[in-house]
Amino acid sequence: IPKGVIHAQASFNNTIVTVTDVWGQVISWSSGPLFAAQIAAGNAIRVVVDQGRQRAEVMIKCPGLGRDATLRTIRRSSILLSFIRDVALMPHNGCRPHKKRCM
Amino acid sequence: MAFSLTSLSKSLSSLLPSQHSLPNLPQNPPNFAPPVSQSDPKSTSIRLSSCLTTPAEETNAITCPSFAYANTLFFKSGHYNVQVVVADNEPEDKLLGRFRRAVFKAGVIQECKRRMFFESSQEKKKRKVREASKRNRRRRPKPKDSAQSKEETSKKDDDEEDGDNWELPEGDLPY
Repeated sequence: IPKGVIHAQASFNNTIVTVTDVWGQVISWSSGPLFAAQIAAGNAIRVVVDQGRQRAEVMIKCPGLGRDATLRTIRRSSILLSFIRDVALMPHNGCRPHKKRCM
Repeated sequence: MAFSLTSLSKSLSSLLPSQHSLPNLPQNPPNFAPPVSQSDPKSTSIRLSSCLTTPAEETNAITCPSFAYANTLFFKSGHYNVQVVVADNEPEDKLLGRFRRAVFKAGVIQECKRRMFFESSQEKKKRKVREASKRNRRRRPKPKDSAQSKEETSKKDDDEEDGDNWELPEGDLPY
């Protein structure tokens, strides 16, 4: 499958990288804690590169520390990027979030 | 190609942010050759997804994303905040920098952090005041100069007052 999408959810405690096709059906995924984002991305992409992925779009969610790392690993692998999108979910003032942490 | 597109899009967005060129959407020929497969419903979705990569639609995507993709049914994640179009030969660091800058401009990370925890009305007021002061500081450097001039004039006044002999001379009065 030459074309597909790579979703990366980069929260503050974890990064989850999911590789899907254009319609969203998951092919492989992997996750890793904070600084293992590169490893997680590498694992997920390795599976797909073997299957013959050439182009990919990247969708990044959540503010987190794994954003740059996943981008770098994708770039270094043999996959061509078509888009990089930020798909952070923004409510139009919906549910009330948790109260503030008292630190 | 991507650079020209992004520059185009920036110029468009700066000049005419409210232009929704919806009629341009469906008719442009696709840039990338659609993949070889397959059955009919899939092929239509492939065509649509490849249509999204044409130049006019890319600029649309960057200037007004929600409107650019309002018509597409099969587009998977219909809503996004920032999109960066990648050229093949772009170096890694440059790409990262571009993405980071785009995200910063859109204010995505700030928004996310703000929405993580609930913000009381007081905190909201404080935040708004802070943001307004930041914005005003950038736009109006004059108030700083006026404040400085005020300080200077007050200093001058002090000097003049020292020059003026307001105070009575020392020593007892003769009577």
